[in-house]
Amino acid sequence: MARCGRAGTGRLGILVARPAFGGSFRGMIRWAFLLVAFLAFAGRSSAAPVSKSLVRIEATFQEPDYTQPWTGGRVSSASGSGFVIDGNRILTNAHVVSNARYLTVAKEGDPGIYKARVLHVAHDCDLAMLTVDDPKFFRGTSPLNLGGIPAIESTVSVYGYPIGGDRLSVTRGIVSRIDFQPYSHSGMDAHLTIQIDAAINPGNSGGPVLQDGKVVGVAFQGYSGDVAQNVGYMIPTPVINRFLEDVKDGTYDRYMDIAISYHTLNNPAMRRALGVPGDDRGVYVGQVYGAGASDGHLKAGDVLLSIDGLPISSDGSVPMDGEQIEMAEVVERKFKGDLVTFEVLRDGATLSVKVPLDRSWPFAMQANAYDEKPRFVVYGGLVFQPVDANFMNAHAPDDLRLRYTFDHFVVHELHKERPEIVVLSNVLADPVNAYASEMRHGIVDKVNGRKISDLRDLVKALDESGEFTVIEMLGPGRPIVLERKMVEAARERIMSRYGITTERNLDP
Amino acid sequence: MKKALTQCALGVLGAATLFGAGARPSAEVKITKGAPVVRVNSTNQSYDAARPWAKKPHYTRRGTGAIVTGGDVLVTAELVADHTYAELEKPATAAKCPATVVAVDYEANLALLRPAEAGFLEDLGTFKLDGSVRVGDSAEILQVENNGEIVSTPAKITTISVSPYPLESLPLLSFRLSSPLQSRDSSFVLPAVRGGHLLGLLMRYDARSQTAEVVPGQIIESFLARAAGNGNPGVPRAGFSFASTRDPQLRTFLGLQSPGGVLVTEVLPDSAAEAAGLRRGDVILSLGGKPIDQDGLYADPQFGKILFTHLIASFRQGDEPLDVTIHRKEGPATAAITPRPADPSTQASPPYHFDQAPRYFILGGLVFQELSRSFLREWGNNWRKTAPQRLVYLDAFQSELPPDRGKIVFLSAVLPSDETMGYENLENLVVTTVNGKSIKSLADLAAAAAAPLDGFHKIEFDEDPGTIFLDAGKVEEQKPALARDYGIPSMERL
Repeated sequence: MARCGRAGTGRLGILVARPAFGGSFRGMIRWAFLLVAFLAFAGRSSAAPVSKSLVRIEATFQEPDYTQPWTGGRVSSASGSGFVIDGNRILTNAHVVSNARYLTVAKEGDPGIYKARVLHVAHDCDLAMLTVDDPKFFRGTSPLNLGGIPAIESTVSVYGYPIGGDRLSVTRGIVSRIDFQPYSHSGMDAHLTIQIDAAINPGNSGGPVLQDGKVVGVAFQGYSGDVAQNVGYMIPTPVINRFLEDVKDGTYDRYMDIAISYHTLNNPAMRRALGVPGDDRGVYVGQVYGAGASDGHLKAGDVLLSIDGLPISSDGSVPMDGEQIEMAEVVERKFKGDLVTFEVLRDGATLSVKVPLDRSWPFAMQANAYDEKPRFVVYGGLVFQPVDANFMNAHAPDDLRLRYTFDHFVVHELHKERPEIVVLSNVLADPVNAYASEMRHGIVDKVNGRKISDLRDLVKALDESGEFTVIEMLGPGRPIVLERKMVEAARERIMSRYGITTERNLDP
Repeated sequence: MKKALTQCALGVLGAATLFGAGARPSAEVKITKGAPVVRVNSTNQSYDAARPWAKKPHYTRRGTGAIVTGGDVLVTAELVADHTYAELEKPATAAKCPATVVAVDYEANLALLRPAEAGFLEDLGTFKLDGSVRVGDSAEILQVENNGEIVSTPAKITTISVSPYPLESLPLLSFRLSSPLQSRDSSFVLPAVRGGHLLGLLMRYDARSQTAEVVPGQIIESFLARAAGNGNPGVPRAGFSFASTRDPQLRTFLGLQSPGGVLVTEVLPDSAAEAAGLRRGDVILSLGGKPIDQDGLYADPQFGKILFTHLIASFRQGDEPLDVTIHRKEGPATAAITPRPADPSTQASPPYHFDQAPRYFILGGLVFQELSRSFLREWGNNWRKTAPQRLVYLDAFQSELPPDRGKIVFLSAVLPSDETMGYENLENLVVTTVNGKSIKSLADLAAAAAAPLDGFHKIEFDEDPGTIFLDAGKVEEQKPALARDYGIPSMERL
């Protein structure tokens, strides 16, 4: 609900086991074999019922290459964990199956390998639902049931297939903290998260965390040992339940967001100036993001006193489930089309404001995207791409104007000026573009005098250009001028020289 | 100008001495008798951008200045930037005399010092300037040995070009020479001479490649003429940016028949170029009677092919305006530009301010400053990436701001106190209004702060969190306590 920056100092790592260790890893397995076998034996006796629901997921995936968007990307593989729930479904993390080309699952006590397919994937909360078409697979499995939120300091067990062996692994720890945390898979979302001190390692991703035989979370991310010790995170049941509820109608609609930033109201002068009652209630709306759900309903400067009847404390928390929880959780549990009702203090008067959750999340461009094909256009060896988080991660451009435009796209409402930022991302050197390379990472402003607001605009302008194509970048600088006949003459040459299979892709 | 800025700079800006280890002695080094040089010791101290009321620790730079006509001492401006005390020291006798800076130009990187004691340097003589350098000429570099003797090291001029100076705000004529200099004291600046005449001042030396960059006689001559004329020296500018027209497709599109010409990409408001009627999209074919090639070079009879901006920078007050021939879509055109020095302090974010205390205003623990590149440079060499991005952006693209934008006033820090409770994490936010009044300078802010609204100061920013309030009565009441707790001598410097 508030801006979802990455908190903390360390980088959260997701926990898929990627076999990038090569030969030395094999050597290590052999060396540790006896020990692991013993542990697995000891674990099996206590974990016998769970082993009937646990699956190991092998994914072959292809990550698109945003620096060479016409190629399919490198193929690699990884493994994670998952568990069977009712209705012949398997739950795991979204990052275990993202960009997957081929998925298989295996289970304890069954030598078979089964092909799986994704039913739903929720990148914003890192959950995915799979199924296996072969009915033999679910024979003998017992679906796990979901529990509630475990108490702080209570003991939980983590099941899965982390590195260090091939068989089921169990680790145990206590619930350390219940809090909102960034979900590193999308890089933009934060949801309720439970921190546990059980060892969770690459490969644990998607595995269940159990207490009293019920699932209380899905292991998904943690810090590497050089950043923090014994800090692992799991997705708690409110988030899992919301995912299961959301997909009931057959599609996943994503989380809704009221798209405002709000601030605690601790300053006494601020409280008096705004006329806020002296009962320690209220948060201050600093910004209402344009194109977000609250645009046109809430205003910067509003004081929010309650949300859906729950009083909002001046630190932004509301009483829920017997605890003070960040008010974002009220919105977290809602779905597309639901209403959020605020009691608002505006210009000295109290009013009731209903915010319908009916608009898409305006931060989408800044979140990591998966299962998408990069969009691009090649023209005269100039590669144009729309800017999003994937593009920025792949190119890491130094250009100040581009970095600023990306980072402030939502907060300064730059999308109102230009819904999509189209950038000259690369220059495939050829005589036709011999002097264009210095313009790399420039933002396309106009083509032949026509303003470019998205990639389709650009394609249209390029297709309709006459003898010359004049491409102007934002800011001072010279235009790129291409002669149409030279572009035509260079086309085959550039495509064969750089191995470009298609000149454009406009659909994700 | 863009093109010249991409050339790489040697050496490290602001190093205590020009030297690293490894310079090899040369057989041709010899002792020179009686050159008009003097040691210059400058103790400098700059302000702390994070606490603009306080100064940072001082440091001393030692260089060798050249005594010029009139008995003043010429050094680079960098030597005396933010100086608190400068003194001259005679090489042979170590006699010392305080000196005052009578003229300084940070863009030309030159300063002129005058001894407090008239006649202190009389026995040392003066240099005449020699501006006739060409690539391939020989020269000598003078250094002062510990025993007071003056050592000359041979050098060869290898390149003459228009390239960036340490401040990077303006490319100017400079030459590069190759010389096996040895590390010696008082070498932050050194004179380059030939036949007893001054060729220039060394401003940077790279010990590995044994090359030095020199402020040439031409730049010194213009500086001295300006210094003699009035107290406000400054390099003349035209106020436009340009790009090369190398690309044949661009040339065909622009309809350029003849070779050469540069494309005007930006004309700054209120500039000499704007006054002359230059427009974005014009192609400048010649300037001051010199044809300009596609990269912006002209054939100088002495220096060879160098950037045409040299013609603008060497313009002198009272000269005939520079005639410009223009290729324009509508047809050929001409213009006459009278370059004039720009006053960098009028920019929305000034590129530098040396020798001045930064302005600030503290309101109840909120510290406000005006944006300048000096503030951003506090983030270190990589400041373009590490300083607050929004402020870097405003500085870099300030020419795109509305002409009446004024200064960029921002909240630089919050000193936690009763009044600022809950505001501790706010920083680097650009202020738009205070108590309903639009803020275009710190003076505006100070005036607005004198008139609170209903007992509150209402401060508005141009981004999240939008608005904050302070209790005006308590702010006034708590002033002495805040000053005492944080050791602030004054709550404002305007």
